[in-house]
Amino acid sequence: MKGRNAALIAAIAGLALLAVVFVVLLAGGGGGDGDGGGEQAGPSTSPTPADARGGCDAPRGDDLRLLGSEPISLDPALTFTAGDADYVVHIFSGLVKLDANLKVVADLAEGWDVSPDGTVYTFRLRRNTLFHDDRPVTAEDVKYSLDRAAKLGQTESIVAESMLGDIVGAKDVTRGRADSISGVKVVNSTTVEITIDAPKAYFLAKLTYPTAFVVQKQQVEANPQGWTRKPIGTGPYKMQRWELGERIILEANEKYFGGAPKVKRVLFYLAGGSSLTQFENCEIDVSGIGLDDLERVQSPRDPLNSQYVTAPSLSISYIGFNTQAAPFDDPKVRLAFAIAINREQISRVVLKDREPLANSIMMPGLPGYNKDAQMAGFDAQRAKQLLAESKYGSAGGLPKVTLTIGSAGGGATVGPYIEALQAMWRENLGVDVEIAQADLASYFSDLDKGRYQMRVDGWIMDYPDPEDLLDILFHSKSRYNQSRYSNPEYDAIIERARTERNESARLKLYQDAEKILLTDLPWIPLNFGKTHLVVSEHIKGYKPFPIVIPFLQNVTIER
Amino acid sequence: MDSSLVSYLLRRLLWVPLILFVVSFVTFALARFGPGDPVSVAAGQFRDPEVLDRIRHARGLDKPFYEQYWIYVKNAARGDLGESYRYKDRKVTEVIFPAIWRSFQLNSVALVITLGLGIPLGVFAARRQGTWADPASIGSFLLIQSIPGLILVPFLLLAFALKLGWLPASGWPRDCSVAIGLLGESYKCIGIAHTYYEIPISWRFLVPVDFAIPVIGMSREVMIPIIALSLPAVASWARYTRAFTLGVLREDYVRTARAKGVSETTVMTRHVLRNALLPLSTLVAFAMVGLLEGSFFVETLTGIPGVGRLAFESIGSRDYDMIMAITLLGSSSFVLASIFIDVAYTFIDPRIRYGA
Repeated sequence: MKGRNAALIAAIAGLALLAVVFVVLLAGGGGGDGDGGGEQAGPSTSPTPADARGGCDAPRGDDLRLLGSEPISLDPALTFTAGDADYVVHIFSGLVKLDANLKVVADLAEGWDVSPDGTVYTFRLRRNTLFHDDRPVTAEDVKYSLDRAAKLGQTESIVAESMLGDIVGAKDVTRGRADSISGVKVVNSTTVEITIDAPKAYFLAKLTYPTAFVVQKQQVEANPQGWTRKPIGTGPYKMQRWELGERIILEANEKYFGGAPKVKRVLFYLAGGSSLTQFENCEIDVSGIGLDDLERVQSPRDPLNSQYVTAPSLSISYIGFNTQAAPFDDPKVRLAFAIAINREQISRVVLKDREPLANSIMMPGLPGYNKDAQMAGFDAQRAKQLLAESKYGSAGGLPKVTLTIGSAGGGATVGPYIEALQAMWRENLGVDVEIAQADLASYFSDLDKGRYQMRVDGWIMDYPDPEDLLDILFHSKSRYNQSRYSNPEYDAIIERARTERNESARLKLYQDAEKILLTDLPWIPLNFGKTHLVVSEHIKGYKPFPIVIPFLQNVTIER
Repeated sequence: MDSSLVSYLLRRLLWVPLILFVVSFVTFALARFGPGDPVSVAAGQFRDPEVLDRIRHARGLDKPFYEQYWIYVKNAARGDLGESYRYKDRKVTEVIFPAIWRSFQLNSVALVITLGLGIPLGVFAARRQGTWADPASIGSFLLIQSIPGLILVPFLLLAFALKLGWLPASGWPRDCSVAIGLLGESYKCIGIAHTYYEIPISWRFLVPVDFAIPVIGMSREVMIPIIALSLPAVASWARYTRAFTLGVLREDYVRTARAKGVSETTVMTRHVLRNALLPLSTLVAFAMVGLLEGSFFVETLTGIPGVGRLAFESIGSRDYDMIMAITLLGSSSFVLASIFIDVAYTFIDPRIRYGA
């Protein structure tokens, strides 16, 4: 009767396992030490017990353990996502960088002079800066890197033209008419001169973007296809190992010109998984917090609360109108739709104040942010009236209205946020808005062709300057202007702002431009971005920043 | 192997290129004519149409469909399955094979557990047909099967990682390259297994030289995903086995054997199981093709860089060459496996012949 016994044992073992799981869950609280169900006991090297909530041991050695995203590429010239930039800003450096207050400060350059007409920047390189392989950094390297990045604009780089395009001759390279940027000159081994096409104050901010970072010619040319797997840069960390899909290990650059980082090794686990669970189980030292967990973590009684940190990010979510397509070609209809929704209520009830309500386009923390700039508030009465005054006359006169949403993977439900919008438009305007949900590829394809009426989307600042928002998204000639917004008065102000050399006057111009947007409403601003993290109590100096900046070199581990 | 079998095999093999051609053409067409393309998806918020067109041109994505397909076929024939757009500067094979290997290891262990539980359970249920034990045993596993992966995995994580603290919440070995075993870097990971050398301290007093015992174990990280992959499938296997076993139990020869006074164990192993396992072997063979696939939910929720997730992400990012390669590898392994099964039948069951 052997077979029969085995079957019985198997069935009982399965049931026992199920029973154990139930018992464990029902028992709650204290982690039971092996009460039954010995079949799951693993090898003796158990992980740090997670019984005492929030009581992880300090990570072993000098390792900082993070979840990372698999890079698309670690070539700074091709970097355009925050995920890639997280690595790239720590491995490479540029002439200038952003500090924690988002000010442009010297990096590989020790300083710079600007010509009286504001178009020629002369950068003096720091002496004795070394690449990770101990070769010194020279002005030639800077020139090579900028030329190379621009050249990649012909074939691969999505951002080269917008980040370097202000330099004289850069567009000739990105469009294949030249091999070298005429506006970048090597004066001597420690001096580079960059000429831009107009005195644009935001040029320096653009130079902090990875496109302008310095790569090493010898390495790139020796292995043009494979060098990014172990890139040689000048940043505070160097690549120790990149195991595709599994992990990236960065190691402190002891010779970093800004001083050797305290955390000697940063492990980025690329395989993902349930981030907060791994944090609670002491497997990683930092985790993001999803909407579902936020309320719990924010409660002072939760053990995770003492490790919770939050900070605004330079980003905004919005409803974007196609201002050339019916019915949103009439500003009155746009305003009616904007004030028919109670954004404040949705933000409080649905988003649970995870992100601050946006009443303007420029976000707090961005130079030029104007807290007095306010779009019209919720007013159902006026919304109806505006619709009646519009060229469509009434809700019945409108064509069918569709709100387009793109989501990665094309999620199964539209979510309570969109449902709330839909309900408010129905109730306050009498308009039944249809929701068209598509996966990202379809969404972008429609967006590029202008095949949408309104959409929910977001914008993440690339560099902290209002130009990256008000100019490139709303100037009528900008190729990023998906709202197809066109207002000559607005264009004129933006064009003046481009070359205004008095900083406060320049920011004032952007504020004036923003006021026009808040009346014309090519967008309904929804919420400003905010990052929520839990950071292990042993890790000091790790916090969210409004934009990607190099900061790991300032992190320390305390025991 | 007789000549009729050889000619049968040849005929089947000749179909393979045609099948792959059809599969590749359909996949290629579906990807290209569907909305969006890899350049457009990857661009995110940087939607400068001129720049995107320039990159599409450099990638040859603006060529006519048939021309793009012809280039693909020519390269594929030379063994070049293309480059990924999501993983820049990497051949698709460099990304796919490790991912398949990871999923394969997990699936293999999971399949062994599933069969090890499911087949005995099915036999048990068949023998207890009509008693409460029959529905109760399979029913309990059906309960697990009916829990969606999206719920089962967080449930397991909560229980085994957070509440009990027995297992890590991350699903893939992490510390292999950094863990320090008793002999320094001697700790090695080989996929989901790890080996290290242990020196029992007490032995040092007895044996003058360092004496180490090699230890091989399964990484603790993969246990939650393996539970999540294996338990839900147990009920199906138990039900197949139960059905096949019941069918055989009713056969005359079983009654005859029992009547002859053959012991119950011999009846079960020699007469019942051997015959019940024949149809089961087909299912097992196809399940083995499934070893090369991955479960998107389990892989995503527990963090396994496997092929299920890769396939899903590749479709989302319209990574054309990656989609093609995954589809082609999947379909060719399926076709080859079914040929293998047909041939294997002639050995398992001598009654099967392939005539001309």
